[in-house]
Order: sequence, then C-alpha cells, then structure tokens
Amino acid sequence: MELSFWQIVTAGLLGAIAILRRKMKLSVRQIVTAGMMGAIAILLGVTRLGFIGPFPPLIMVSATIMHVPVIIGGVLEGPIVGLITGLIFGLFSWLQAPTEQPPVNLWFSNPLVSILPRLFIGVTSAYVYRALRKANEPLALAVAGVVGTLTNTVLVVGMIVVLGYAPLAVLAPAVAPNAIAEIIIAVIIVVAVVAAWKGIEGRRKGSSV
Amino acid sequence: MEDFELLRNVTIGQYLPTGSLLHRLDPRTKIVGLGMLLLAIIVHKAASGLLVGLLLVLGLVILARVPLSFALGGLKPALPILLLLAALQLLFGWGMFSTSCHPLWSWWVMSITPCSVQAVIALLARFTALILLTSLLTLTTSISELAHGAEALLRPLQRLGVPADELAMVFTIALRFVPTLAQQLEKLLKAQAARGADIHGGTNPLQRTRQLLPVLVPLFLTTLRRGEELTLAMEARGYTGGPGRTHYFRLRFGRIDVVALAAIGLLLVGLFSVPFGALDQHGLALLARLASH
Repeated sequence: MELSFWQIVTAGLLGAIAILRRKMKLSVRQIVTAGMMGAIAILLGVTRLGFIGPFPPLIMVSATIMHVPVIIGGVLEGPIVGLITGLIFGLFSWLQAPTEQPPVNLWFSNPLVSILPRLFIGVTSAYVYRALRKANEPLALAVAGVVGTLTNTVLVVGMIVVLGYAPLAVLAPAVAPNAIAEIIIAVIIVVAVVAAWKGIEGRRKGSSV
Repeated sequence: MEDFELLRNVTIGQYLPTGSLLHRLDPRTKIVGLGMLLLAIIVHKAASGLLVGLLLVLGLVILARVPLSFALGGLKPALPILLLLAALQLLFGWGMFSTSCHPLWSWWVMSITPCSVQAVIALLARFTALILLTSLLTLTTSISELAHGAEALLRPLQRLGVPADELAMVFTIALRFVPTLAQQLEKLLKAQAARGADIHGGTNPLQRTRQLLPVLVPLFLTTLRRGEELTLAMEARGYTGGPGRTHYFRLRFGRIDVVALAAIGLLLVGLFSVPFGALDQHGLALLARLASH
C-alpha cells in the first residue's frame, strides 16, 4: 500500500482517541448501554435484518440499519459510549466482510474502512444532539440521525476513495440513493425509539432513589 | 417462507460445554490462536490452501466435540446470498482478477472457466472456515472466560489510557446478550406475523421500514429496559468498574496452552510456506486438460 501519510494520520487519530479516553470515566450505565447497543448492532448483522434490499446499490450493504444502535447509544449516553458502540459495529463489520459480495468484501476487510470511520458515528451524533437538545428535542434527534448516517456514509466512502479502491465519480452516484434512504430510515427509528424511551424513563425517574 | 427460529442460527455467541480439549485451554490462547487463524484465512489467496484451512477448522470443530450440524447451522442465514454469489462468480467470472482462462463450457454470455471454479471453491472454503472459526471461539469459551481473557489481553493497553476493564465488560455484555435479544426478536416477529404483517414482503426500502418498525422499536425499548435492570443489578453488587478490580477467577497458563500455541504457529507457517499458489496452477492446468477431452 502506498499510503504512509494516511497511516500516520490514522495513528495520530487513534492516539487522540486514546488520550480522550483517559479523561473520561465510564459509569456503569454507560458500560451497559454500550454493550446492549453493541449487541443489537451485532444481532442486526448476524440475522441480516439490518440489510434492506438485496438488489440495487450493493455497496452500502453493510450499513443499512446497523449504524442506528450506534447513533442511539451516542445520543443517550454521550460520545464515549457512541465511540465504543461504533467500535463494536466496526469490528463486527470487519469480521463479516469476507461474507460480502466481491467489490465490498475486499474493501471492508481493511479495518481502516470498516472500523475507523464507524468510530465517529456515535461521537458526531452525540455532539449534534447535545448542541440542539435545548432548542427542540425531536429536531435534535432527527438531526443526530441525519448526521450519524452521513458520518457513516461519507467517512466509509471517503476511506474507500482515499485508499484508492474506487474512484469517487463511480461510487457517489451508486451510493447516493441508498444513503438518502438510510438517512430517512435512521431518523424515523432514532426519533421513535429515543422519544418513547425518554417518555418511559420520565415516568420512572420520579421513583428512583 | 418465514424463518422464525433465529436463535437456532445464531451459533455465534452460544456456549456448548462439552469438556473437550479445546474447552480446557486458557481463553487467551484461544483468542490469540483462533484470531491468528482467522487472519490467515482472510489473507490467504490460493484455493487449495483455503481448502486445507477449512479441513483444519473442521478438525478443530471435531476436536471440540461440537456436533458438526450445529456448528454449520450458523451458515444458514447467509446461505441464499452466498449461493447466488457463488453462481454469479462461477458463471460470469464476477470479481475475477485474471481473465487468462479458457472456458470449459460456455453458453451465450455465461462461461465456466477453471479460474472461476477455483475462485468459487476459494470463496466457499473461506466463508465456511471463517464462520466456523468465529463460532468455535464462542462455542468453546464461556462468556466469563472470554471476558477474563479479553481483559487480560487488553490490560497492557491500560497504560495508554485505554479503559481495558470497562471495554472488556462492554464486549462481554454485548456477546452475552446477542442470543437473548435474538429470542426477543423472534417473539416480536412472530407477534407481528400473527397480526398479519408480512416482514419479507416489500423490497421498497420505505415499505420495508414500515414493516420493520413495529419490530425494531420494541426491540430497542426492551433492550434499553434490560439495560436499566442490569445497571441496577451491577450497582447493587458493588461494581464500580475501573482498574484495581481483583478477580475471583484466575487465569492460569498451562502446558496444553503452550502446545496449542506451538501447534497453531506451525500450522500458520505451513499454510504460508507451502506453495499453494503453484498447486493452484497445477489444478488449473489439470482442469483445462480435462476440458479439452
């Protein structure tokens, strides 16, 4: 591979992430949420329920709903949980790569494509949600869904292009319609789940000691 | 055409205590050993080498005294797509790197070349081996063993600021809950079907979402609820995470582990030094000669 510059970038990013982690301690709830959302992501992948439509754009096969638990994890418990859940999603996507179709399996076997971009899905969703939460809760959730999905699409496609696997001109039109569908789906699910959960949790909060 | 029994197919994540040799290995050995085998199979290119790899993995499954039909059950969900892919690759030479093969049989736009035959064999071998390897890890190692193993392996990273203990706990929880959530999902799918919903109907993505929504939202919600209960339970038992946790369970590296690691090391060296590429070429030539008769 001819990308020593990018390897340095990657190493730098990983170092930054490691440093970030030092400053944040995980509460039990955060650990559990990360684990549970990770479990859903794995489940969606293993049972193929996370894949919508076997035909058209085959490229984003690994992403259709599997990123949603990551977004929800980030929104509910913050960027660190989003990071970890994204890590689980990425790891699983990497492990599942050999079972995908030809162009895709080669790309996703490279952890820079399957793991690294996924780390940011939860992080961006979390920050966007936090920023907009005061203004309008449902809107914040929707935007978090959009941003999270876009992060996934843009960074994964970006990595594929940067590593020279496929030219942007070819990928973009194939991925675009799929990406739009994913965004809509993600927004619906994120808003529905978090709104319902907050509603339930709100009623419960009164009784916690 | 509904397959409700999702749990049966989720062999990844289930523990089968058969007391075999593999079960007695230190989890760290298994994680590292099986991990290396996994990597080797992902990287290896020659079809003949992959077949040898597959045989190896099957041997391991037998060694673990896991019923073969059970282990292979994990392939079921992916089977239709896999077969379609294999057929496409066989007939159209899809995803082929070199096209210097003469067809054995052709009709219209389809043709079967020795290269595509080999590619398909490689594909099927690799796929099966990977699924089996992954399942093997969880089938022979209980969740708590996996957690301790992962934690021990990650501990050196603690100095870089990575919260190894907490991460290990996250992975443990995730792995442990996959079968539980699969059961939950199964119930939800059945409930929806009983109300007349058709899950695998529409291929239009929006339509499919509308069908999946009554299943997904409850899945998330019940999962989050379980999470609440788990959090409470852990806190009630005094779990605070973080370093400095002592363990009731101690991992001990035994003689079996050294033998196992040495064996895997030898296998890996063998896998990569035997000229499988040349073997493949011989195979290709043989097929070509068979065809011209």
